[in-house]
Amino acid sequence: MVENAWKLVDAFFDEYKLVDHHIKSYNDFVNHRIQDIIDITEPIVLEQGEYTIKTGNVEIRKPFIKEADGSNSKIFPTEARLRNLTYSAHMYLEMALTKKGDEEQDMEKVYIGELPVMLKSNICHLNGLTEDEIEDVGEDPQDPGGYFIVNGSERAIVTMEEIAPNKIILERIGEKEDRRARAIVTSIKSGFRARITLEYRKPRKKGVFLRISFPYVPGEIPLVVLLRALGFETDQDLVTSVSDENDIQFLLIDDIQTSEIMTQYDAIKYIGNRVAKGMTEEYRIKRAEDVIDKYLLPHIGVEPERRAEKATYLAEMTEMLLQVVFEKREPHDKDHYANKRLRVSGDLMEDLFRVAFTSLTRDMTYQLERSLARGKEPSVKQAVRSDVLTENIKHAIATGNWVGGRAGVSQLLDRTSYMGTLSHLKRVVSPLSRSQPHFEARDLHPTQFGKICPNETPEGPNCGLVKNLAILSKISEGSDPEELEAVIKKMGTINPVKSL
Amino acid sequence: MKGILKKISQINFGLMSPENIRKMSVTKIVTPDTYDEDGYPIEAGLMDPRLGVIDPGLRCRSCGSKGGDCQGHFGHINLARPVIHVGFADTIHKVLRSTCKDCGHVLLTEAEMADYREKIGNQIKNEESITAIIKDVYTVARRDKCPHCAEEQEDVKIDKPVSIVEGNYKLTASEVRERLEAIPEDEYIFVGINHEVAKPEWMVLTVLPVPPVTVRPSITLETGERSEDDLTHKLVDILRINQRLKENMEAGAPQLIVEDLWELLQYHVTTYFDNEASGVPPARHRSGRPLKTLAQRLKGKEGRFRSNLSGKRVNFSARTVISPDPNISINEVGVPEMIATEVTVPVFVTEWNIEAMKKFIMNGPNVHPGANYVIRPDERKIRVYDETKETVIEKLEPGFVVERHLMDGDVVLFNRQPSLHRMSMMAHEVKVLPYKTFRLNLCVCPPYNADFDGDEMNMHVFQTEESRAEAKSLMRVQEHILSPRFGGPIIGGIHDHISGAYLLTREGSVFSEEDVFQMVKHARMALPNATGKDWTGKQVFSLLLPKDLNMVYKAEICRKCDECLKQECKNDAYVVIDNGQIITGAMDEKAYGAFSGKILDSIVKEYGTDKAREFLDSSTKLAISGIMKRGFTTSTADEEIPREAKDRIEQLLANAEAKVEQLIEAYHNEELEALPGRSLRETLEMKIMQVLGEARDKSGEIAESYFGMENHAVIMALTGARGSMLNLTQIAACVGQQSVRGGRIERGYSQRTLPHFQVGELGAKASGFVHSSYKKGLDPLEFFFHAMGGREGLVDTAIRTAQSGYMQRRLVNALQDLNVQPDGTVRDNRGVIVQTEYGEDGIDPAKSDYGKVADIDRMIDEMRIKSKIGK
Repeated sequence: MVENAWKLVDAFFDEYKLVDHHIKSYNDFVNHRIQDIIDITEPIVLEQGEYTIKTGNVEIRKPFIKEADGSNSKIFPTEARLRNLTYSAHMYLEMALTKKGDEEQDMEKVYIGELPVMLKSNICHLNGLTEDEIEDVGEDPQDPGGYFIVNGSERAIVTMEEIAPNKIILERIGEKEDRRARAIVTSIKSGFRARITLEYRKPRKKGVFLRISFPYVPGEIPLVVLLRALGFETDQDLVTSVSDENDIQFLLIDDIQTSEIMTQYDAIKYIGNRVAKGMTEEYRIKRAEDVIDKYLLPHIGVEPERRAEKATYLAEMTEMLLQVVFEKREPHDKDHYANKRLRVSGDLMEDLFRVAFTSLTRDMTYQLERSLARGKEPSVKQAVRSDVLTENIKHAIATGNWVGGRAGVSQLLDRTSYMGTLSHLKRVVSPLSRSQPHFEARDLHPTQFGKICPNETPEGPNCGLVKNLAILSKISEGSDPEELEAVIKKMGTINPVKSL
Repeated sequence: MKGILKKISQINFGLMSPENIRKMSVTKIVTPDTYDEDGYPIEAGLMDPRLGVIDPGLRCRSCGSKGGDCQGHFGHINLARPVIHVGFADTIHKVLRSTCKDCGHVLLTEAEMADYREKIGNQIKNEESITAIIKDVYTVARRDKCPHCAEEQEDVKIDKPVSIVEGNYKLTASEVRERLEAIPEDEYIFVGINHEVAKPEWMVLTVLPVPPVTVRPSITLETGERSEDDLTHKLVDILRINQRLKENMEAGAPQLIVEDLWELLQYHVTTYFDNEASGVPPARHRSGRPLKTLAQRLKGKEGRFRSNLSGKRVNFSARTVISPDPNISINEVGVPEMIATEVTVPVFVTEWNIEAMKKFIMNGPNVHPGANYVIRPDERKIRVYDETKETVIEKLEPGFVVERHLMDGDVVLFNRQPSLHRMSMMAHEVKVLPYKTFRLNLCVCPPYNADFDGDEMNMHVFQTEESRAEAKSLMRVQEHILSPRFGGPIIGGIHDHISGAYLLTREGSVFSEEDVFQMVKHARMALPNATGKDWTGKQVFSLLLPKDLNMVYKAEICRKCDECLKQECKNDAYVVIDNGQIITGAMDEKAYGAFSGKILDSIVKEYGTDKAREFLDSSTKLAISGIMKRGFTTSTADEEIPREAKDRIEQLLANAEAKVEQLIEAYHNEELEALPGRSLRETLEMKIMQVLGEARDKSGEIAESYFGMENHAVIMALTGARGSMLNLTQIAACVGQQSVRGGRIERGYSQRTLPHFQVGELGAKASGFVHSSYKKGLDPLEFFFHAMGGREGLVDTAIRTAQSGYMQRRLVNALQDLNVQPDGTVRDNRGVIVQTEYGEDGIDPAKSDYGKVADIDRMIDEMRIKSKIGK
């Protein structure tokens, strides 16, 4: 038995390396997500549409450096470490500047900046080398890779733990007897995080019990108003879509009667008064619809056609929340690992690249406008200042100050011992502050069995908040929801939303 | 250091009037610039030479003293328009709300005024706080109509941090000032203002004091560039805006512009006082760093109070790693030579010691008993160098002070943080030793809570005879053997001292005379007369006891039998000491261990601390030599139990687990009867916990029954040297139930802890009962549950240290001024009695018998034994 178990362990390591989670995630970032970010970014438009810049495919070349004499030479990690250089790949992007009325220009390949390369990733020179070859280029064959070299120092990006996005998290406020509860969804659409909070609590004087808050709307608004705005015109529609249970329905009816808004138009106007106070009615309506489409549950979609789906989602969420209030459903365990997601180096690099790329396009617009103002013929090549992108990314990795104000995301790789290095590359940190007790969050949760090492956690204020992946754990990546949907549909399920 | 000696007779807290500020000021500041092109300070600028000097050598234009001696002088800025002081914005708001917008009277009726005037007068007479009354006034005086002039009042609101809004109109600072001026002086008291030291309108600034340059020194960078202090930067901003505002006003600029500038001036003055005021964006340096202005200098942990006044850095101190030395006395501390040659003791040279002092100087600063400095009677300090020592010696005469190296016998203060009780700082005698660590006797580990896994400690050298004398009589280690915490010894034998004493004194331990002499010599005791016979261990240990000591007590190894056999105890746990001879009983933790050593306790109380120190020094050494004669080692072999024992334990645990299953079944069949005040589920949990707890104890008992007193692990556990029987039974028999926050483990997947179990399973195994022993090894699930229980402990210790530290700080701040007066009362710094008798019983716990005045029972017992044996 035991002998066989060890064979299994060996077999596991034949296929998966110790830091596979970093390397796979980074590879995915390089192969797909960079291109996605570039494609999704809105094209640069100058002088009210006089000029537009289109972007095409991105090309990433394996690491090389430009020496002082102008020659290019291939660089290996050891050299980067010794000469205090950055082990980074050069990125080229196809771009074309078109003048209005003119025919489309051909795509032109422009150097946009450098991207630090993760050791042993697909775009690393060490990828695919045999042990002997690795030794020949001055590397330790036992080195796991999975970190970066920026200005000669080795930097590891630690994995971040977060509460699962795009998932309803139900929690009780106070004791059971208080009959207060909250449902939170952090909806993520290409880097934009919209936190929706639905709360059930007794109003202070008068008003509704169910109130919801979401980005760009100051304060809270009654849930029934939002559902109305999303298209539940009749009271019956609204109530039945939430629940078939009587007590829940009565609650909603109370809320409907308290709020005096009866039509979809009134509801949208109500929201419009909140988001754009003191503007013209026309603008208020437009703005309200805009906010609903873009900032309410953006993971479902940002098109107006998605409103029905959003309404169903909210109705479902309301039922779950009220079930918690009526003690028919248990609130979620926030420390349950099913309610957690890990953001690995690739995800974090994605955040970084998105911001850096936006600042590059912004800088390009500025440069182009300046040259236009001087009456020069605009040129893409001259407009791109590659340092903007390079420095943005490099600075974040070198200091650990990530976009969004998080510090300590990248850390100097621990080389006190080989085990220390491995442990550092498997580190997982929780965003909870270490100054508060958070007893529950620090506990070893049974759902961490097999995923998180039960033994390794620091003593002291970080105890239980800084964790390490289990040696045999493997992080699965998110998959395309449409693919999944297709599989489910093939199995003959019906779409409940369509029936709306 | 020279200074002007002045005696403070009283301190008044009040507000500064504009006149006061101008009177105190040496110059009006108008120019926002600091230095001209040649680097000279500009007159009427922020670095005006009249504000004091920082560069040494220059003389102050105001007081004529040299740089370093002049503490600086204030200047002032005349503000073009009044500005509200942030610190008083809240008070201003409250005062305005309570006074009439028209006539300025406090919104109280005549009757109320008389009433409050009397109340406040009484409180002041009794020296008690009037805040509660003032608060009351603030609520009562929120009237819609003035009782004096019948004017309708509008609601006054405060828009943080400094805007006062009445209704919908924002009051300007001038208007605020006018209103405050209108308040009659005899009504100040109702809004909590003492008319002798303050007027409400002074809360609105018209003149701004400019602190002297010594408060905001500029620094010269290596490049020769001058860099100004944050306060200077802020004052420059204020001056600039003030100047512009003045110019605009004089030029008759539109109201809007003037108001904007006024607002800006208000902002700069606000951030000058407090750059973290809520509602104002912090003023920033060019680099984007927020400026550190007045409030920031004082506030918080890094502020002036907590970091520079309550806690200062000191000279003549040293810090290094500690390590143990069983050969030095508890009173001593081993000081590395390197430290001894660095920290010094000042010695006053007299005719009688001048030769000795010359020898020190002759040794120079690098050879150990040497000297580093010589201080002449004119207070000049001369460094001793190897090259100059001869000339220094020539000049040396009585009246000089020599700073000689630390030497054996010097008294120093020794400390380990956290300094939680008075035993965290004790006076030790120096023993200069080679190598680089502080050495301390193992007995003083408990009071310092020190171990040697890398701990560091601090040492301070006394610099005056007074302090040395005080420390020697009050702070010496031997004076702290008894803890004021529980009236027993806190310094005493630990670990091997205890096992050693037990091995030495237990029944049947006999040594040849040669061995005895060896041990006695090793312990540096006086050699006893030879008897020519073998010695029992009890006889050897008795050599240390005072010859008239009589004691009876039950030792730590006492098994608490139902009926005590007293002297016939087969565990040798009934200790009888008759006239300094141990008749029965073995020495263990109860004899001279830290926290519970009875013999040690009674030696300190009856024979004094000197005797106690001697006893402790010798007895620990004797115990160590005893343990070395016998040899002492432990391993997992000590926890080995025979197969039959394992079978019995297995059987017992199986039964217990079956019983748990029965309970669960009863619960499911609703046959279980709920305990009073508990739900069914809680009852079940309690019963299961009880059954499993019993099972673990029973299995422990089985294992224990196979352990004898020859087992070293058992000796350690039972004598109290280290570890407990529970530790041993967990290794040998069964680890037992793991718990998180007091209960069995319940959290995890829905309705079960781990997917390895059935949904809804409640059994022993599924909720963290560890059936295996550490020696046998835990299976993966048990291991995981054990890690869960272990994690809770780790988190607890981490959180607890932080929380208890904060609580300690609050308690110390609240109680620091209390002291016991000669009449036995406890009073605070105002002389107010807190307790009429210290501790309400007048007992000093350190001199008590474990908190009580005396243990009468014990005294009777001792007398009885004495008379019985006397017969």
